[in-house]
Amino acid sequence: MADVVRFASMGTRVELHRFGAGDDDALTAAQRAIEAVDDALTIHRPSATTALNERLMAGQGAAIDDALLFDALVAIEELHALTLGLFDPAADRRFGPAGWSGIAFDRNTARIEVSQSVALDFGGFGKGFALDRACAVLRAKGVVSACLSAGESSIAVVGEHPLGGGWPFAIAHPLRPDEILVELELTDESVSISSTVGAGTNAPERAAMIRPTDASIVSAPRCTVAVDRLGAHAEAMSTALLVANEDRVERLLNGDWTRRFLFDFPRGAAIPINQPG
Amino acid sequence: MTDNDFDLSRRSFIDRVLMATAGAGMAAAAPWASAAALAAPVAKGDRVRLGVIGTGDRGRGLIQNIAKTRNCTVAAICDNFELHLAKGRALVDASTRAFTDHRAMLDAGGLDAVVIATPLDLHKLQSFDAFDAGLHVWCEKAMARTIDDCGAMVKRSQDSGKVLQIGHQRMFKPTYLNAVRRAKEGEIGSLTQIRASWHRQSSWRRPVPAGATDRQINWRLYRDSSAGLMTELATHQIQVSNLFFDAVPTRVMGSGSICFWKDGREVYDHVALIYEYAGGRKLIYTSLLNNARYGCEEQIQGSKGTIEPELGRIYKELPPKELALLRMQADVASGKKRAVPIGGATWFAELPVTTPGEPLGWGEYDETMLQFEGFGEAVRTGKPLPGLLSQAYYASVASLLGEQAMDSGQILAWPTSLVAI
Ligand SMILES: NC(=O)c1ccc[n+]([C@@H]2O[C@H](COP(=O)([O-])OP(=O)(O)OC[C@H]3O[C@@H](n4cnc5c(N)ncnc54)[C@H](O)[C@@H]3O)[C@@H](O)[C@H]2O)c1
Repeated sequence: MADVVRFASMGTRVELHRFGAGDDDALTAAQRAIEAVDDALTIHRPSATTALNERLMAGQGAAIDDALLFDALVAIEELHALTLGLFDPAADRRFGPAGWSGIAFDRNTARIEVSQSVALDFGGFGKGFALDRACAVLRAKGVVSACLSAGESSIAVVGEHPLGGGWPFAIAHPLRPDEILVELELTDESVSISSTVGAGTNAPERAAMIRPTDASIVSAPRCTVAVDRLGAHAEAMSTALLVANEDRVERLLNGDWTRRFLFDFPRGAAIPINQPG
Repeated sequence: MTDNDFDLSRRSFIDRVLMATAGAGMAAAAPWASAAALAAPVAKGDRVRLGVIGTGDRGRGLIQNIAKTRNCTVAAICDNFELHLAKGRALVDASTRAFTDHRAMLDAGGLDAVVIATPLDLHKLQSFDAFDAGLHVWCEKAMARTIDDCGAMVKRSQDSGKVLQIGHQRMFKPTYLNAVRRAKEGEIGSLTQIRASWHRQSSWRRPVPAGATDRQINWRLYRDSSAGLMTELATHQIQVSNLFFDAVPTRVMGSGSICFWKDGREVYDHVALIYEYAGGRKLIYTSLLNNARYGCEEQIQGSKGTIEPELGRIYKELPPKELALLRMQADVASGKKRAVPIGGATWFAELPVTTPGEPLGWGEYDETMLQFEGFGEAVRTGKPLPGLLSQAYYASVASLLGEQAMDSGQILAWPTSLVAI
């Protein structure tokens, strides 16, 4: 048996494909999990995150009452450290280079304190985080083989391919869609692709990529790919690689050439395109 | 600019027109343009002598363009409003005769043709008088205030054996010609819809100088003398639409209102119309006077691309993306395992595409000059520029039919009783 649901969430098109075993309502439950993350983390309509941002932008601390937002902040704190500070959902040119380091998050009291104005934008992390929760729901519902996609730049798979072995993916060159940058096989893993060029990079809701170390806009043509057990981690790593300068790139890649990739393209290699759908 | 510079830029402009109109397809699509570009220069004393009627805004611009031609000269000017006549005088030699009555100008003789740049409702009468005086006529668009009067002008020109040419400068502009050529060559696929607009942020009301009346200066705002946005602006763009579709509309429906400038004007300040063409093709037209965001443009939309001639750009449609995950489903069902292509394209809601496109052509605009060189050649040979008059006639008819459709709230069919050209 194979079934699929498609819906719009997290500012993109989400597809959940399930093959074989699992409860009848598995996909619906996974969809609900993704929508719940969107409801909590979106900054494009009122949410727990926009309420928190209002206080943070006023330079005030806040208690985190929303369980999903709390879990996201726990993950972010860990990922910020893991990526040498390069994954930073508080990087914002309006407020200078403070970013996440200007935030004190105490997970024991579930409180955030700030030393100056900041605002959070979960961006791609939200997609990975949502896919992680959807995968957990699917596994709990007995699903053993599934493929989840949030806008094709974030993919997660549960178990093995329905025909056995890993799920093969071919990652397209962002400027020359007929060319393949790299082929990967995933099993119980997630992949995240980030790019400063190519389709969608100029979409209106998409914020510019900010380098947290100096709050500059990153515009050099680059595409990064990161694979991880967790989608949230893959997102943080692909984002960090995108904004990293050379010494940090070395440290982030850390010799793990099979799971993290960075492609720099010559400047002016092609006109960036922006084609939805 | 020295004469030499002018010759060079003139040469390059003409070359561009010739390049854009080269080839059999274009010879059929826009035959007037190459005919005008190939007009022979004429010695100063032999130039076609023009009498310009109406030295208002447009008339004065025309006088300056005629001065650039190599086969025409302004021999007389005429305006019944002294202030405007004086402004016209300032642009011509002191020896050029000036009149306040066009009949007096015609009676004085010494002309080969007239140039009419007066309010719309005078075009028919003045062109009739000129034909009756044995002269050729170049008249600004739109042709006349009613569909019947447009036809009567065509008929009178035919009966008198004199040239009638209407001012539609876009038909001589290399960017447009090049755009038509590329569309004809199939570059943007099959054309199904043109969305055209002329949006302005302006009351369109001019200050009335001492000695003049409001209706005299602001003739555009009153029904007796104008169909407002339709005859003043839409005519140009409907002509562009007819040219790209290579057809005239079959039906028109529309809605017009005085929506913002409720200042006593009689013409609509807001119009929205749909012109249907055979095969289900459409021109969707809007014009308004209180928002300039979308400006003046014709978006020529085909199955493989889009042309925006005012911006001078051509855009390719990107092929629809293969739904990679969908293919994976089919693969699994047929027992196949192959890599699923992903990445790059995060899907967003269907927003306007903002690809920069490619430039279409050239930014030098001497098309109004070229219209007159074409006219000069037509007068000299007694043969009108091929294909041009029907373009103008149908554009004027379509704009006036649009006015009727809005006034009556009816869907109106293309008239069957037009004068054959
Ligand atoms: N092709 C274009 O892009 C373009 C642009 C602007 C105007 N036009 C056309 O040019 C024409 C004139 O428009 P305009 O903006 O110059 O208007 P305008 O009001 O500035 O000029 C019209 C002139 O005609 C004169 N006039 C009126 N009655 C006369 C008469 N009986 N005898 C002699 N002169 C008379 C007026 O005094 C005035 O000077 C219109 O048909 C308009 O549609 C074409």
